[in-house]
Amino acid sequence: MSGRGSSLDGRVAIVTGAGQGVGEGIARRLAQHGAIVIVAARRAETGEPVAAAIRDEGGRAVCIETDVTKGVSIAACVARTVADHGRLDIVVHNAFTGAVPHRLEDAILDKHWKGMSLTAGWASLQCAREAHPHLAAASRRPRGEGAGRYVLITSPSGVEGSANIPLYSPAKAAQRAIAKSLAREWGPDGITVNCIAPVAASPSLLTAFDRNPALQRAIEARTPLGRVGDITDDIGSVALFLAGDDSSYVTGQTIVCDGGSFLGL
Amino acid sequence: MSVRVAGVGPVADLLRARVVSDATACVVVAPLVVEPVAVARITDEQIDRLWEQPMRTVISELQRAKADGCRRIVVVVPTTGMSGGADHAAVAAASEAMRVLVKSAARQWGHDGITVNAVALEPERFGIEVSVSGPVSIAPRALDTEVDPVATVSFLCSEGAAHVTGQTFVCDGGLWM
Repeated sequence: MSGRGSSLDGRVAIVTGAGQGVGEGIARRLAQHGAIVIVAARRAETGEPVAAAIRDEGGRAVCIETDVTKGVSIAACVARTVADHGRLDIVVHNAFTGAVPHRLEDAILDKHWKGMSLTAGWASLQCAREAHPHLAAASRRPRGEGAGRYVLITSPSGVEGSANIPLYSPAKAAQRAIAKSLAREWGPDGITVNCIAPVAASPSLLTAFDRNPALQRAIEARTPLGRVGDITDDIGSVALFLAGDDSSYVTGQTIVCDGGSFLGL
Repeated sequence: MSVRVAGVGPVADLLRARVVSDATACVVVAPLVVEPVAVARITDEQIDRLWEQPMRTVISELQRAKADGCRRIVVVVPTTGMSGGADHAAVAAASEAMRVLVKSAARQWGHDGITVNAVALEPERFGIEVSVSGPVSIAPRALDTEVDPVATVSFLCSEGAAHVTGQTFVCDGGLWM
């Protein structure tokens, strides 16, 4: 990492859903570049080991149990972060739940939609609401000493729809629209808002590969780079770019980080 | 053949009065609640009204259209979901979610011979003021004639549109490109 903005020394980042998978990869990468990372995980059993691993590698991280399906939990996480560290520069909202295969005509709203709506729609807005004053304050710091960054983790499926999990796609699409809206709304505050649409070797995808090796072969075959992304080296690095100063003129965008599989933007 | 138009407001009224089809069709006009609010001040009650309830209604309407045997389903949304809108984040989220829900439905129901498409109209049609949400485009509208979405919606409701599915027809006179 050689860009001038790749150092996040002293900046404070919350990463939701950082107890595993893409969130963990992003948390690790931000910490490797100097950020104090709040591992916001629903369960301490997953969040604490990630925070401990970051500390073992010389980084700074703490776990705060956070259930993003509850607005009060998001507010508490933000409040404790600012109380303990004095600032909040970066929020990466990655936590998501509820992508259960279903037929659209059989979908039960409270079973198939509710969790996805809460974690994608509601939580994206609630994280933004709670973080806004602190992100704006970060952007008022002298150049190079801080900048408000909000990053949402969406999906290529949020652009192209899905035949297997049809309600997952609109939930993820909502996040792209929220990012564009907030880019307009928060531009005057100097805060950038962007999305990452990853395909990565998360635990859930690796489990799916174990159950269905043909799925892995199919994904790799349709991917020009011929492999599934690494949560830290591939996805975390894009998040680092969007969290740092090098991306200061990029806002409202979706970065599809999938090895070139989706080329429809 | 009948065309059922779900929704309220001037767009729904226009389409209900004039859309015709030779197929069994359903048109769902996005049941958006337009209420400008900065995300920094949005309440949970507003998130429910502006995001959650419109989404639940549209999902249910698509399910009903399938159950009713519709072969053509069209969802009408504002372009705000594609462009984003300041002080309209929840409405934009719902609009874009509905537009992508159309793609999922098209993928699932194509094997049943059902097409599902979206028509996107200028935000003002839904009461979204561009002076608040920000411009849809950096360029002015390409056409200066009045935009009438009836023919576009009628086409997507017709048997002739049998091989068009999962698409968004932007019907705004060339504003959003």
